[in-house]
Formats: sequence, structure tokens, C-alpha cells
Amino acid sequence: MDKFEPVIVAFCCHYCAYTAADMAGSKRIPYPPNVKIVRVPCSGKVDAIHIMKALEKGADGVYVAGCLEGDCHFKKGNLNAAHRVEYVKKLLDETGIGGDRVEMVMMSAGMGEVFAQTATTITEKIRKLGPNPAKFPSNRKAASNE
Amino acid sequence: MENQKSFQTNKVLVIGGGVGGIRATLDMAESGRDVVLIDKAHSIGGLMTQLDRTFPTNNCDLCTLSPNLSASGREHRIELMTMTSLTKIEGEAGNFEVTLVTKPRYIDTDKCTACGQCHAKFPECVNFTPGLDHRAPTCMRYPQATPNAFSIDPDKCQDMEAVASVCKDGAVLLDDAVREQKIRVGAVIVAAGAEIFDPAHLDNFGQGAYPDVVTSLEYERILSASGPTNGVLVRPSDKKQPKRIAWIQCVGSRGIQKKAVSYCSNVCCMFAMKEAIVTRERFGDDIETIIFYMDIRAFGKDYEGYFQRAKDEYGVRFVRSRPHSVIPDESTGALVIKYCPEDGTANEEENFDMVVLSTGFRIGKDLRSLAEILDIDLNLHGYAATANLDSIATSRPGIFVCGMFESPKDIPETMVQGSAAASCAMQFAGPLSDADSVADTDLEDENGTWEFAVEDEFPPEINVEGKEAKIGVFICDCGFNIGGILDADALADYSKTLDNVAFSEMIGHGCSSESMQKIQSAIKSENLNRIVIGGCSPRTHETKFQDTIRKAGLNKYLVEMANIRDQNTWVHMDQPEKAMEKARELIRMSVSRVKYSHPLVEYTLPMNRDVLVVGGGVAGMTAALTLADQGFRIFVAERSGQLGGLAAGIKKTIEGEDVSTFITGLIDRVKNHSRIQVMAPCIIVDHEGMPGMFTTGVQTGPQMYYRQISHGITILATGALHNRPDEYLLGKHPAVTTQLEIDTKINDDPDSIKKWDTVAMIQCVGSRTADNPNCSRVCCQAAVKNALSLLDINPELRIFVLYRDIRTYGFQEDYYQEARNRGVVFIRYEDSAKPVVEEDGEGVNIKFCDPVLGRDVILSADCLCLSTGFIADDESTEDLAMIFKLPRTDDGYFLEDHIKLRPVDLPVPGFFVAGTAHAPKNIRESIAQAKAAAGRARTLLARDEINLGAAVARVDGKKCASCLICVRACPYNVPFINADGYSEIDPAKCHGCGICAGECPAKAIQLMQYEDDQIIARLDGLFERMN
Repeated sequence: MDKFEPVIVAFCCHYCAYTAADMAGSKRIPYPPNVKIVRVPCSGKVDAIHIMKALEKGADGVYVAGCLEGDCHFKKGNLNAAHRVEYVKKLLDETGIGGDRVEMVMMSAGMGEVFAQTATTITEKIRKLGPNPAKFPSNRKAASNE
Repeated sequence: MENQKSFQTNKVLVIGGGVGGIRATLDMAESGRDVVLIDKAHSIGGLMTQLDRTFPTNNCDLCTLSPNLSASGREHRIELMTMTSLTKIEGEAGNFEVTLVTKPRYIDTDKCTACGQCHAKFPECVNFTPGLDHRAPTCMRYPQATPNAFSIDPDKCQDMEAVASVCKDGAVLLDDAVREQKIRVGAVIVAAGAEIFDPAHLDNFGQGAYPDVVTSLEYERILSASGPTNGVLVRPSDKKQPKRIAWIQCVGSRGIQKKAVSYCSNVCCMFAMKEAIVTRERFGDDIETIIFYMDIRAFGKDYEGYFQRAKDEYGVRFVRSRPHSVIPDESTGALVIKYCPEDGTANEEENFDMVVLSTGFRIGKDLRSLAEILDIDLNLHGYAATANLDSIATSRPGIFVCGMFESPKDIPETMVQGSAAASCAMQFAGPLSDADSVADTDLEDENGTWEFAVEDEFPPEINVEGKEAKIGVFICDCGFNIGGILDADALADYSKTLDNVAFSEMIGHGCSSESMQKIQSAIKSENLNRIVIGGCSPRTHETKFQDTIRKAGLNKYLVEMANIRDQNTWVHMDQPEKAMEKARELIRMSVSRVKYSHPLVEYTLPMNRDVLVVGGGVAGMTAALTLADQGFRIFVAERSGQLGGLAAGIKKTIEGEDVSTFITGLIDRVKNHSRIQVMAPCIIVDHEGMPGMFTTGVQTGPQMYYRQISHGITILATGALHNRPDEYLLGKHPAVTTQLEIDTKINDDPDSIKKWDTVAMIQCVGSRTADNPNCSRVCCQAAVKNALSLLDINPELRIFVLYRDIRTYGFQEDYYQEARNRGVVFIRYEDSAKPVVEEDGEGVNIKFCDPVLGRDVILSADCLCLSTGFIADDESTEDLAMIFKLPRTDDGYFLEDHIKLRPVDLPVPGFFVAGTAHAPKNIRESIAQAKAAAGRARTLLARDEINLGAAVARVDGKKCASCLICVRACPYNVPFINADGYSEIDPAKCHGCGICAGECPAKAIQLMQYEDDQIIARLDGLFERMN
């Protein structure tokens, strides 16, 4: 079997995290290509459904990246996001998928290094956790093959 | 009136691209003026781009500023000329001819993609760390610079052709030369800033000689994530994290040192506190922070609380002393500071790892020669001379000043002046017909010929509704940036294999005008109805591509950008195969999403151009007159029966300007202006509508009848109140009075003052207290002003001022010096040991602890004058905040939209604030803010309709269960349950964050542009081939 390469979806808010990702680019700070960014206006826009769908469709890990606490362009959307991520983590723990696959991170627009560092840390963590057991349909295929 | 005045040109020149110049430029462009913005530097942004964080919110504001900067590069009414200076100006207000000289950049900004290849080959070329690095051959000032292009310094560059050969885009211009041009402008705004004092020649602090002694700006760069150490706090000498850092205030300001200036540089106290707080925030007790200061001047809005937090929450130590010197200890490498503490004569010594010098501002040679060219007067400190009550107009009509060149000031005050200068300049330049059609009138170009305005003409939109998606994918190679890492042609070929992709092409630099035309013709020839661009970041280029497809007849929301450069090839350079794989994924995600995109309508509303000004004080009247003179109809609603407000009680300003005459003049003009209707007394009863069509109900007239006012804009200038706390026998003993009352007595009854021996003043009465935590800003200068006037009347008078910190900021420091020189005694008291006042016959005894003697002293005075300052008009602001749905600060002032960058705009669109309703300020500052409010209002009034954007939340009434979750979740209180029983979101008020959509349990709310199906479609695109 091929070496496991996790796929990670990062929901990034336009004002801070997405800009930080661009900043990592401007500064040429490498991070694992496993991370795929989905831009949202505010991290508070990210719904539990989006996170769950990402996991269902094949992501091994998902994280939501918003502004630093107190810096949210929309006042407190990042806190809503953090709250929701907590909720999803609990849900995943209950279903046995494991809440560790989901994270909330915060950074400012200037933090290119932090963006790259976070992407690296999370990728490595998910790599250790292994493939997402709920992955559809590859996992079902694997199950039926057994 | 604007539509009666015949303008000779629509153009204004702005000198200086710092935040003030940018604000003025954007305001004027939005108001339909053409603006030429010149800056002698390589990119715009000024000083603020070098800051890591800004007080008092400690936000990194670069992300708030950068869109402003790129906006100023984008707006078609703005011509941005960097590396350009003014060399000559002829003519007069309304019709100047200016000569501009542009230095060669040796880089074609249109071709330069800021890829950094030249930078990589010629390392250390980024020049944004004053004193911490040296200039290299090519230079870009900071990573998000506008224009986003490098420049070459020919003096430092040995081999220009070598640099040229590195550039894959051919952007290096070997034979670039100096260019000179003449343009005609109606007015000039000077936003040239000031220079930072260079303390290198102060041998007692050793800056320059000792590497670990840095200036506050250098420390800022060390803290900054985009700085030389990438935000890692290490001291320059040994790259180790310091354990103890000292700040020394007033270096070069409030001057006793060599080459120091006498004035206060205004921002250094806050600057130092911010740096200390950020240091403590990040490192906690690992780093000790000590600030050596004379007076902490935290006089701005909510700044006092910041000072208290610095002390109490962050444990920053404040030592009131002006250290004599910094001397390195040769054996340990520590920096030794010797100082004399306040309570004694003993010399203290402390060791530090780093010392930060809080250096202020001054006017250097460049600015003086600019003033000479402009032929404007300078004040005795070399700053642009302005009138006592008008901080915007220079000595030459038609030339206005804003920002630091007027006097040292912080960002919000600079923004206020920027908007005010824009408002003033627009009286001398404008479209040649009436104000009602600002956006689409004919313009006259420099040659005097007539041309049609530069408004873009858009073809009608092609109807794509119900049609199958025919997607065009355009891949940029961005020179080497993308093309050097992956095969852009192969990516274009791959894109063709994706569902619904009808056309795909590699287009080189997608943002070049040539490629844009290619995209447009492909849309037409291939009947494309959705577009994907594989290239750089939508943050910087989305508007450009939206414009491109709109010109080809597609709705601008039918384009999607896949960020295969900034978030792919730039970060996965060493794994080209993975980068290619990820690029395919990113393109798939975008293709999959764009299928679901649909044309969006930007909400527009017709504009009602009448303005309601609430409050008839100096600020309200100034705003009303400014706009009425420009042709708009104004309603002034004044609660009391009389115009004049707070300032009506003041006789003279500290500069000696006669306030009463000024106010009488204002009142006369307002009452007699044909376009101003004064309603007094008048109270606001109800309010509804949206910007451009508000309806406000008022009760007015002798019978207080109810009537409704229709207006498009609201300016709040409701003022504050004179504070009158029940302290120190105020109101109980005739000898106890206030600064305001003594001001009147000085004018009306000087004879009684001649009989006095001793006058005492107590500062901060009712301010900087638990009840009213902020500094009232004006009382220190009021005390100094009155002390000087008292001495004019009675030179033998002994005057004692009991104070906590003397806050005579800016040039007011001169008057403070004068008062000290003339024998006024200033004695400090601690908040914990307030003076005690007792009745003593006709006079009073004041008991206080003298900090030098360390013991109690009793002073007998004929008059005790209390500096009582301001208090927010809680009752009225609370009512108005409820009626207009505006937020307030904890102490009852209106809260602006952004404390740094939008100090005049209120968070509710269409609302602006001016004067003491915003925060305590003096008359001159209130007038500037009133003009700024008028200028900001003008940007909306220039429009025929209001564009509310398309990214708004929409509710599906059928799904809504009226659970109120959205009502509670919205940070702006927009959703409400309507008469039909479901949640309704007013698109005019929606900010487009989508928090409600995220929270809605029934998924009844969708945020346009980011609908759930589009987000999930992205995920489908990503996982398509994997499953």
C-alpha cells in the first residue's frame, strides 16, 4: 500500500487566515501540500455540516482558521467558529471517528509563519492518526473487501 | 454652491501616500474627483506600514490598511505616482499648474509580478527596517507594498544587466529616465508626514554605538511578523531574547537635550506602552518592561484605560524620571541606566538587556524645501502653519494640510484631517456641471480639451439563468512564478477534461491587458458563461477579473479564482510534482464550485441627498455649513433652544483666538443659510430606513409637534457635557470654581483677580476616575491658558497647579513651558492621595502631599479652580443610540466603526460622528472632525444610488422556524422577525459575514457567493477523483 498521505481541508477566513496563507506564499515558507484551503468570508460562516461533509467525502482532517481573538473583522465570528468546532469534536468523539481530526486555529493576517507552522503540525498529527475511518466510499469498499 | 460654481478642473494633487494622504485620495475619488497621488518613496503606505500593532486595540492593522492601499492603486480616478516629487507650482486656488518629477524606478510596475527573483539573487534587498539593514540594489518596502513591484537603486547596483537577466518577466528597464510633467489641479493636499528624530548623535544614550539601544520604530520592526527577525524578539547584539527592556520617553522631544525640540511628539507615550504591552502579552514574566517617563500622555479616546491596563494587568513598570544616560557595563554587556527617582536625590542604577528610545517627530530639510516650493508658511517648529481654529487650511489658499505635517499626531487624528482636507479641497476642484451628476459629467483634461468622463461603459448582462454551465478555464503561468514550477500548458489541457469545461487556455500573465482581452474574446467566441482563473490570490486580483468578465457581458459573480500561486507554487517549490497535483485539485475545486455560481445583483437604492445634523454646537454647525455650501440641504436638530453648544461658554482658546466672536459668526451663518433649516428645540423620536433613505421623526417647534424628516445621511454632533462633580467644595464655597467659570471671570471681572494672592488649581477632577475613567483631554491646556491669563492680569499672583500628569500634547507644550517660566508651580499628586480642601473664611485651605518633600503641605488660596473636564451626555447618547441603533463606549460616547482607520464613520452605514459626542476634544479638533464628517458624507452624497454589494444573507421564509438564533448571532443586530413571522435580513444593513448562515439550525439562511451548495461543491471537486 502507498504511504498514507492525508488530505486536509482548511476553512480560512478571508481577512486573517487566508491572507496569512498568502503571506506564507509571499515569504516562500513551505508547508505540506496536503492542506487545501477553502476561503470563507468569516470563520463564523463555517457550519458543522461543512466540516462533516468534508470528512464524509474524504478528508482525513479539517481545520477552521480565523482571526486572533478580539481581532475578528466581524467582531466575534471566530468565537462562534471555535464554539462550533468544539461541538463537532464532541460529536466525532461520540461517533468514534475522533474529535482530534478537527481543530480551530487563530492567527492574524501577518502571520505567514504561523500559517505554515500550523499546516505542518496538523498534517503531521493527522498522518499519525491515520486515514479517516468514516471516509466515503473508499472505506466502505475497504470494509466490503474484508 | 457647487452647481453654481464653475470649476476649472476636476483634479486634486495629494502629496504623500501615508494613511492621511490615502484617506484624502480615496474620499475625493469616491466623491467624483480625479486625484493624482504622489509619493517620493517607492511605494505608498507611509509610516503605518512599519508598525506591528496599533494601540489601543493591539490589532495588527496591516490587514485593515492593505485593502485601502490596494484600493488606492485600483480606483480609476486615482493616478498613483511613486518616486515622484513636486518641483514647481504656479497659479492660484482652483487653477494651479504643478510640475512633477518622477525618478526612474528601473522596473516596469506593470510587468513586475513581485516574484522576488531579483530579491533572491540580490539578498537583503527588502528595505523596510530603518537602521536594521542596509539598502540593497532592488528594494520593496514591505511584503504587501503598493505598487506591488520592486525598484532598483542604481547607486548600489554594480551590474544592472545582471539584475535584468534574473527577471523572467523582462520588467527591468535599463534605460529608465527621469520624467517631468505638468498637470493642472484645483487644489493641493499636503500629507507629507514628518521625519522621525534620529537620536544617533545623542552620545548619552548611545544609539548607534550600542547595538541593543534601538529606537521605538526599530523595536516595532523587531516585533513585527514581517520584520527582519520574522517577529522573533531577539536583541541585535547576540540574537538572544532580552530579559529586561527599558523605554526612555521624550527622547528628542519636550526638549532639554541637544538638538531636541520643545514640543511634545504626541504619540510616543502610547507607542511605548503598546510595545511594552505586546511584549508582556507574548512573553509574560520572561521579559520585564520598564518605562521611564515624565508625564504619561494618554489623552485620546479610551487611551487612559490602556495606560491603566498596562500597569495593572500587564505589569509594565512605570518610573517617573528622565534618565540621564545609558552606559554599557563592559564586563556583563548590560546597559546601565542611571536615574533620579521622583522622591529624592539619590541616584539609582538599573541594568537592562535592551533600551528603546521613544523618539518623536520633526520637520527636516526635505519638508522645509517642499514648503518653500509650495510657498506656504511654517510655524516656529517648522510644521505647516494653520489658523488657530482651522487646522486644515495653510497660509496659501487652495493648499491644505493633513496629518503629521500639521503637527505630530496619531493615526485616527490623521484620518480625520485626511477626510477634512478632502472636504476642503473639493471646494476648488470638481466636475464642471452640478453636484447631482457628479459621477457622469464631462471632464476637462490637462490640455484643456473636453473628454467624456472615465466611467466604464458596461454592455448588458448575458442571461445565464437556466443555461448549462460552459466554463472557460484560464491558467496563468505568471512568468516563472507558476510556469517555473509546474507545466501550465499541461494544467490547461487537464482542465479541458473536467465536466462542463468548454474552453481552456494558458494565458501567460492573466492580469496583463493583452490576456484580459483574450479572456473577453474567448467569452464571446465560445459563449462561455462561467470563468475560472488559475493564478494568484483573489484577495489582490478578483476585482480585476470581475471587471474583465463584466466588460464581456457576464455578471461579475460568475468568475472564480484558483490560487495556484501564493498558496501553491510559492510554497511547494521543492515538490513540483505535488504542486502540480495540488494545482489540479485547486482547479477542480474551482470548476466544481463555479458551476453553482449564479448572477448576483448588487443592491442599490436611490440616494436622498438631504442631511440631518443632530446637534447645533460648533461641530454640528461646521458640518452643516460645509455641506450646505456645497449645495446640499441640511436639517439641524438642536435639543436646546439655542445654537452654540459647549463652546458657547468659552471666551478664548489657548492661542488667544476669540471663541465668542467665532461662534456668533457661525450661528449667524447657519441661521441665514438658505439651505439650512434649524429645528430648535427639537428632540429625536423615532428613526427607520437605510442609508440614502432614512426617515427620522422629531418633535419640534414651540408646541413640540411631531414631524418626519427624510434624509440620506445622518451626522451626529450631540456633544458632551461639562462635568461638575460634587468634590472639593464645588458649589458649596464661593472660592471654589471651575476652569470654565474662571475663563469667564478673566474676561468679565479682572478687577477681583487683581486682589488675589494665591490661586490653586486641581487637575483631573472627575476625570481619570472610576466613574469617568477617561482623560478629558482639554483640562491641562485650559489650566495653563487660564494660569497665563491670570498672570497677565495680576503678575504677582502665586499659582499652584496640582496635577497627576500634565498632558499639554503637541505644540501646547510651549504654553506649559511658558507657564513654568513665569513661575506657575506645578505639583504632582497621586490618585491614591488626593488633595483635601477645607473652608477657611473667604478662601480655602488645600492640604496635599508634596512628592519631593514627602510630607503634607497646606496651601491657603483665594481661589481654587477645578479642572472638571467633560462627561458624556449619557442621557442623550443613550436615547439616540437606541433610536439609531448605534453602539457606545462604556463611558457613553459614540463608538466609531474603526478606532484607527474610520474615526468619523459610525458602524451603521450612512452615520457619521463629529465633535465631543465622539470623545473629549478641543474646538480646533472638533472643527476638523466636523469637516471630516462632511467629507465622508460627501462620498455617499456623490452617488446617484447606493451600492450595497451582493454578499448578503438571504432567508428562506419557508424554512425559517423563527427560532431567533440568527437574531442573537448577528454581530450587527440586523435580523428581525417580520410581520409574517419569519426572520428578515435587511440587505442594506447586512455586512456579509455569514455568521447567521452558519448558526441557523434549519439552514434557512444562505450567504450569497458562499451558499452551502457552493462550499460543498468545492469539496466535491477536491475529492472527485479520489473516490
